[in-house]
Amino acid sequence: MPDPVPPNISLPTARRPISVPDLLIALGVVVLGLLMLIGTNQIAASGMNTVVGPRVFPMIVSVGTLVLGTFLTVAALRGHRAEPAAEEDTDPNVPVNLASPGLILGGFLIGTLLLQPLGFVFGTAVMYFTVAFAFGERRYGLMAGVALIVALITYLLFTRGLGLTLPPGILKGVI
Amino acid sequence: MDAITALFAGFETALTPINLLWALVGVTLGTLVGVLPGIGPALTVALLLPVTAKLPPVSAFIMFAGIYYGGMFGGSTTSILLNTPGESSSIITALEGNKMARKGRAAAALATAAIGSFVAGTIGTMLLTFAAPAIAEIAVQIRPEAKFSLIMLAFVTISATFGGSPLRGLISLFFGLCIGLVGTDLQSGQARFTLGRPELLDGIEFVTVVIGLFAIGETLYVASRLRKDKASVIKLEGNARMTREDWRRSWKPWLRGTALGFPFGAVPAGGAEIPTFLSYTLEKKLSKHPEEFGKGAIEGVAGPEAANNAAAAGVLVPLLTLGLPTSATAAILLAAFQQYGLQPGPLLFITSPELVWGLIASLYIGNVMLLALNLPLAPVWAKLLLIPRPFLYAGILVFSTVGVYSLNNSVFDLFLLALFGIIGYGMRRFDFPVTPAIIGVILGPTAESFFRTALQQSNGDYSTFVRQPLSAFILFIVALALIVPAVLKARRPSVAT
Repeated sequence: MPDPVPPNISLPTARRPISVPDLLIALGVVVLGLLMLIGTNQIAASGMNTVVGPRVFPMIVSVGTLVLGTFLTVAALRGHRAEPAAEEDTDPNVPVNLASPGLILGGFLIGTLLLQPLGFVFGTAVMYFTVAFAFGERRYGLMAGVALIVALITYLLFTRGLGLTLPPGILKGVI
Repeated sequence: MDAITALFAGFETALTPINLLWALVGVTLGTLVGVLPGIGPALTVALLLPVTAKLPPVSAFIMFAGIYYGGMFGGSTTSILLNTPGESSSIITALEGNKMARKGRAAAALATAAIGSFVAGTIGTMLLTFAAPAIAEIAVQIRPEAKFSLIMLAFVTISATFGGSPLRGLISLFFGLCIGLVGTDLQSGQARFTLGRPELLDGIEFVTVVIGLFAIGETLYVASRLRKDKASVIKLEGNARMTREDWRRSWKPWLRGTALGFPFGAVPAGGAEIPTFLSYTLEKKLSKHPEEFGKGAIEGVAGPEAANNAAAAGVLVPLLTLGLPTSATAAILLAAFQQYGLQPGPLLFITSPELVWGLIASLYIGNVMLLALNLPLAPVWAKLLLIPRPFLYAGILVFSTVGVYSLNNSVFDLFLLALFGIIGYGMRRFDFPVTPAIIGVILGPTAESFFRTALQQSNGDYSTFVRQPLSAFILFIVALALIVPAVLKARRPSVAT
């Protein structure tokens, strides 16, 4: 695999302070490469007499990841930092609020755990409710109503209309 | 094979009432989901995959064709009325079309986008009809070395050549390749990177990766820096329509945009962004009113939008003939084929002609349906933009959950979904493009398979890749694609100082 040239190698400007998050991400890529390398060595050698075994390609990918991660680490140490993506519905100027994504993840995990015991409708209604809450909606009655209706319609559409199986949970026999 | 005869057979397949119905469902759902802000065509196709789960392959692909084109049409509505491009190839439409809409010309902007997309889509599909079988005939003879090299070319162009930072693009690609390695090695039967979990023996479903990185990642990221002021949706009164003057100024840009878009889509060169930018520049140069550009020139919507849709048709040429996706959306279509146990490529034209030609015929049909859906119903689609953000993103999350859960009825997959959601958040925060990762996940295993076949045939001689002429030539281009931009980048600052 040919190695790319790291970006910004010819920036003669004064060194910017190192961004810790960027450095951690870069080291994370290095660690991923290392873990892949270790994982590659744990792949059992194939019993068959093949020219190229199951290890060769993973080896290339691991080493590639490791090399690219090293380049990124060097770039981060030289003060390079990533620009957060500007997307529709985002405002690059507002302070970053990590509570909202945390809330969404929490609601998602709770909903996931409730999916089997309570059923698809209630599990996804929990998810729907937390996302709406995390996005700043505060009309609780409306949110709960919409959450349940969306979850119910989705359930009926996919199970009745498309023949997929989703867990009915406590509504078993009712819907 | 005679393309016309084959196409007629395809129309026979596509024109049965039930398949017409699936095409209609496809274009409607595609437009519906594509209009929603934050959802580009790639995610539209991924989210709607479970909808086709129980259909026979032919109907499923006819529906996919509708979803694919429908997602493109829907995206232009969002760009024009809300100024939010769902993907980079819609940036120009957002730029120029939204300015038109602000001047009260929303109906004309939507109409020129829709009719331009129809013209480009139809001409593009015609070119596909005649190019694809010819290329497939040649492609049958391509050796595994060259196929591996072709995939390398797709990897490099998609991740390194056209992104903001080649390094970040390549890291994204390699992350995807790592994910693609997880599971049982098909040739030797050895488990790889499964961490001892039986759920991982079958590998990680690409749908989980795609929906996690795109939809969940997007939801988390938007939540972290939500725009507080209300997005200004431009009101649309009445149908999308154009005046005689609009027609006069639009038809040439449509054709020029088509001519630019199709070839760019068809070569593995990073999808539809380049031709839309080229078309915009070209129209600005040729226009009698260059001063209007940037302030709402209709040519600036007509040309790029046609280029975008012609590229979408062009993308299907390498996808169907070589099994080589050149955009994230095409990669997801490829994976959808694989789910049905079909491998797109030259042999598909021989083994499943009714499927390939039914698909191609349904592209013509879908285009007509989209035009009929979009001109009179534009105000209906515009209403979708008014869904409040909390309810919209909550809905996206629920649909993502259905899509991923219904694959295997596995809660484990939902935990993976959350994990990829967090990674998707990180990729947006730290500026890694998502598309190369998707391409890596889907094409990585194919690349490995060609790699091993080639080496098996040469008895382990690695130089086979550079000794087989076609393969050597492609690898030479790969090297150029990696080196030239880096050299240019390194030289630029030294010239400036």
